[in-house]
Amino acid sequence: MNRQNMNTLIRDEYAFFLRERNNWSLTVGPQDLELVAHALRVLLHARTTPDFLDDYRTLVACQNENGGWSPLSSDTESTVWVSAFCGLMLIRGNRLLRHAQLTQSVQQAIDYFLDTQHQDGRWVDPAWADLDTTSHPVSFFNVVMALGETRRQQEVRHAWQQGMCFIIDNQSPDGGWYDDEFHPYGVEITAHLIQDALVAALVLDQQVSGVREACAKGAARLCDWQAQAGSWDEENIDHTMDCTRSLMLVTHILQDSHKRETVVRGLSWILDNKNDRGWGDFPGMETNLERTCDGIDTPLKYQAYSNSGTHEVVKLWGYLP
Amino acid sequence: MPSHAPAKSGWQAVCQIDELPPGERRLVTVNGVEIALFNIDRAVFAINNRCPHRKGPLIRGYTDSEGGIKCPMHGWRFDLRTGQSRRPAQATTYRTKIEAGTVCLTL
Repeated sequence: MNRQNMNTLIRDEYAFFLRERNNWSLTVGPQDLELVAHALRVLLHARTTPDFLDDYRTLVACQNENGGWSPLSSDTESTVWVSAFCGLMLIRGNRLLRHAQLTQSVQQAIDYFLDTQHQDGRWVDPAWADLDTTSHPVSFFNVVMALGETRRQQEVRHAWQQGMCFIIDNQSPDGGWYDDEFHPYGVEITAHLIQDALVAALVLDQQVSGVREACAKGAARLCDWQAQAGSWDEENIDHTMDCTRSLMLVTHILQDSHKRETVVRGLSWILDNKNDRGWGDFPGMETNLERTCDGIDTPLKYQAYSNSGTHEVVKLWGYLP
Repeated sequence: MPSHAPAKSGWQAVCQIDELPPGERRLVTVNGVEIALFNIDRAVFAINNRCPHRKGPLIRGYTDSEGGIKCPMHGWRFDLRTGQSRRPAQATTYRTKIEAGTVCLTL
């Protein structure tokens, strides 16, 4: 697909996403916060965040007392995964919005993650595998550190390092990460861990032993798992989007241009399996908004990735200001 | 094969057992509800197709030797008989029976 066609696709899908605003915006009522976080990421990467300050303020309004968020905005029990996703969108959004309420909310989120880390470096969420869960607060702390946030700085750095080590220590010799209870096949976990957690250490210039090798082995494992047609995990659109984006970022940072073909094949498969409007979880399934947000995010990141002389793609993960 | 007396709401025929041989699965829609059918060792199980976590399609999930199904999206596992799970939500299962070669279930 050429650049002009991709621009048209992004524009049309973004327009569809905006028409569906009542189904993702907290300004109209309680929402599923994982969907809200996906939506805020679209706004960030489409560079329209400043038009949506009220969405951020309502996200702050549903933050729980302990600094976390619940899967449903109307609930009050915090869980780690969704809290990290919300915190991440908040700190990245506030870089543009510069709003005092948001700043305070980010600081409360930092407290929440420092308070909930386990002794061995992991974070736990009943809905997600521990490795996958851990990658999310680490990702939040990646951005906290990248943006120079000073709240409990030493503690953040220590917690971040502990989380990194927990992930690296649990990599399988074949390069993948697995969880017998959730993901015996490892595709989604591996894609998440290298992009959301580990590879940032190379950009932040933090010394974490073994991180470059762990990323390279993880990326190679992802390439091995790709189907000939370009998909991952038996035509799982979500996981194919995860893997394609993960390889864009990780191979860019590792300066490994040999995997470009794998990225292009993944993206082509994703575009070939789009519905008239939006994406579903598997080919032929009805469109859902969360997958559509991922579907908009993927070509936006690909455009930055294609601009290989710059670090624009790294900025789309927030690891560079 | 689980065998059940007719429920108050009645049994509904959903397919022929020939269309669901052992080891196979089939997606049906009853009263607007997507239901995933599995024939495991000649026992037919019926479970709501949408995972209560993120609505992943259980019809594309991974079955195991202990009568479980794992969602293909994020790996939540459910007991096909009861819908029970160690995760924060349970799945809905439905009673099934085979009558004159027809698979029936009740919502």
